[in-house]
Amino acid sequence: MSATRTVIRQGIIDGLPIFLPAVPFTLVLAIAILESGMLPFVGWSSSPVVYGGAAQLTLITLLGDGVAMAAAVTAALIVNARHLMYSAAMAPTFQRQPGWFRWLGSYFLIDQVFALAIPRINDDPHLFRAYYLSVGLTFWVCWLVFTGAALIMGPVIPEAWGFGFAVPVMFMGLLVTGIDRWHKAAAALIAALATLLAADLPHRAGLLVGAVAGVLAGLILDRRR
Amino acid sequence: MSALIAIVITGLGTYFSRAVFIIALANRHIPPQLRLAMEYVGPSVMAALVVTMLVTPEGEVALGAPEGLALLTAALVVWRTRNHLLTIVLAMTVFWSLRAVLG
Repeated sequence: MSATRTVIRQGIIDGLPIFLPAVPFTLVLAIAILESGMLPFVGWSSSPVVYGGAAQLTLITLLGDGVAMAAAVTAALIVNARHLMYSAAMAPTFQRQPGWFRWLGSYFLIDQVFALAIPRINDDPHLFRAYYLSVGLTFWVCWLVFTGAALIMGPVIPEAWGFGFAVPVMFMGLLVTGIDRWHKAAAALIAALATLLAADLPHRAGLLVGAVAGVLAGLILDRRR
Repeated sequence: MSALIAIVITGLGTYFSRAVFIIALANRHIPPQLRLAMEYVGPSVMAALVVTMLVTPEGEVALGAPEGLALLTAALVVWRTRNHLLTIVLAMTVFWSLRAVLG
């Protein structure tokens, strides 16, 4: 029992500092919701319903700009398509999990939870589940509370301060902690370059091009081992 | 009302993208080649996310000295310490300092 309690505590300890950079992001989202003209509560409902900051921001900004609903939804789903890869990467470890956790765990599968959980996929299934739910719930509660609070408080931090840059910094941290051999560093570099080359693609599809290029590069490098 | 519909459709699509392989592959054999490919998902997507955040919606790259050196600081600090909080604090300090100096 105490091992379970330890991983639950570890999940919260790992989750909170990673959530911190999302706070300025909640303010950006709040501004987008308030400027879009939709009811604030409807905009906030995207937090539990979509539960993905980048897709929420894309959807609400485009709807606010008067873009057709089908186009706005398509753009948001392209932004979120990377989760297909997370789902595939998590599938083997979820095979050892009960059915209810496959359905619930899928809902919590955001970037940060994926990055923190992936080093633990070979842990004891019970402890993996406890850690995953701990990180997942920490993020979920924080996201719902902070996106709501940001809407109520309005834009308290001026955008010019550049707090938003904490978000790419946080992802850089998650990137580096996930690298345990040079193949992965090379794959990340290829992914970054491909994303840069594909930067003009509409709907930010460059993200997907880069991600796929990185995975393919990794496979090729691994084969030559 | 249409905003709510758009949010619900996006939510369903997002949940589908997160659940599809976890549910569909639950009781199937996963080929070793696919398992290997999946190891590269994390580094590749995280790197692509960092770059995407440095690109404006118009496709312009916003990467000056403050951003570049702050990201380099983040990479080095997290590599040496594995401490995410320290990483964010130090990288943002570099970012803000350079921005103030370079004006």
